[in-house]
Amino acid sequence: MSATELLIELILMPLVAFVVGMMMVLMMRRIAAKLQRRIGPPFFQPLYDIVKLHSKKTQVSHGLIHDIGIVMAMGGYIAAETLLPVPGMNGIAEKGGIITLLYLMMIPSLGLALGVGQCANPNGSIGIARALTAMLAYDIPLVIVVFGVAYAAGTTNLIDIIAVQQAGGFETWGATQMPLLAIAGLIAMHASLGKQPFEIYIAPAEIATGPMVEMGGKYLGGLFVMQCFQLYTTSVLYVCLFLGGGTNWFDFLLKSFLVLAIPMSIAYLFPRYRTEDLLRLMWKWPVMLGLIGVAFVFV
Amino acid sequence: MGSIKQIPVVEAKRTNPLARVFDDLVRFCRSRSLFILHYCTGCGAIELPPAMTSRFDMERLGIQPMVSPRQADILLITGYVSIKTLKRVILTYEQMGSPKYVIGICSCTVNGGMYWQSYATAKKLDEYMPVDLYIAGCMPRPEAVIAGLQQLMDKIHSGEASSWEDYYRNYDYYLGNQQKLFGEDWQTPTDVISEAKHYDLLSEGTLGDHTRLLEQHQKPLEALEMRLGHEQEEPAK
Repeated sequence: MSATELLIELILMPLVAFVVGMMMVLMMRRIAAKLQRRIGPPFFQPLYDIVKLHSKKTQVSHGLIHDIGIVMAMGGYIAAETLLPVPGMNGIAEKGGIITLLYLMMIPSLGLALGVGQCANPNGSIGIARALTAMLAYDIPLVIVVFGVAYAAGTTNLIDIIAVQQAGGFETWGATQMPLLAIAGLIAMHASLGKQPFEIYIAPAEIATGPMVEMGGKYLGGLFVMQCFQLYTTSVLYVCLFLGGGTNWFDFLLKSFLVLAIPMSIAYLFPRYRTEDLLRLMWKWPVMLGLIGVAFVFV
Repeated sequence: MGSIKQIPVVEAKRTNPLARVFDDLVRFCRSRSLFILHYCTGCGAIELPPAMTSRFDMERLGIQPMVSPRQADILLITGYVSIKTLKRVILTYEQMGSPKYVIGICSCTVNGGMYWQSYATAKKLDEYMPVDLYIAGCMPRPEAVIAGLQQLMDKIHSGEASSWEDYYRNYDYYLGNQQKLFGEDWQTPTDVISEAKHYDLLSEGTLGDHTRLLEQHQKPLEALEMRLGHEQEEPAK
């Protein structure tokens, strides 16, 4: 692959992720609306929100770290997109591998922690403390799951993991080969999205949206963009690990939207757990399922 | 304030031919995505849950509730504002990001409503902050609330909803009314005059007798003291 092709892919992959991510946000809000027997937002609503937030005249900045925090939050995911292979584009997935990807997916939370820290709003501080606790909770099952999949495939290269699954069709998919790991991964993915019942750090009625409390205008717009990337990254990572990636775009998008629809449909039926309940739940069930799944992989 | 229409509107010079298209897009998006901060002071608040939930569903118009003034576009004041409440409403309003819109719901915000004779109620909301739209009624039904919001959307799209600029242009008038109610040492954490300079909205009405009074006793803002744990200062005896 020539340098020009690589450059085009590196620019195209985050752009595609953004567009698909906006549709995922739309899907999330439409599912919520349908469950509550509402009509829901129009098709371009996520775009309207983002354009409006970026065109606000007031930008209240609390300092340099506040600005950098938002850039880190978005940049972490933009970098992660280049490591996620999509049909026809591999980017730098071959060189990065899954461990780098996991590290990059943690950067947004850390960037947000830096940015919110400078806002000096007590609600924001409580929110970010909860967000990092939640990260601690879901990262342990996530790492166990990723380790199990990588061990079974014998590689940490995401392209090879996909190739192994695509070799024999449906029967060689991660989800059919390692169902326990797939279930544990689904729960960990749900928690990493920060939706109900694991919505401990947004909690609008309690701590006024936590980390987002001091964000307005472009700062909130940046976080809306980040949410698009977050939904895309999480669901595509799951599709690559367990559902055999995508052979073509139709296949790929169908899988990633379906995977995301599962936690979304569950999310709007439940209230919220407390922080310690989340920790107890995440360290008990997905970890247990994941460890048994890994044991099966070793056998 | 009756003189809103007399203010000369200066069109910004645009050399880029696409600028007009872009401005139109921005105005359209602004009108289609409205985050409301509902300051539920009175009985009008009871009409908002049906307007938001499955019966009337505001989200299909792109309107959704937000919880912090920094994130919101619309300040929705649903009912009578007592003098103590009005202080909080003004603090909230000044923290919102421009362009911002104020909607007064119920007749109490229009003229005091049934609290007309109360000594503790601010009668007319638009003496203290510029109001874009009133939805009268006691209380207006959800249909009326949504019709009002649609009217505001049309105003935003056509660029008429610019009353937030009026707060900067006639700050002296609004501050004077606020001082009449709260006393002469009234001061908010937001430096409105500097903001007016920043937005290039400084006009004749911005500075005056009342802002001079403010400057005389204005205390510079200091960051809150950081304190860990439950330590509290000994109360002065």
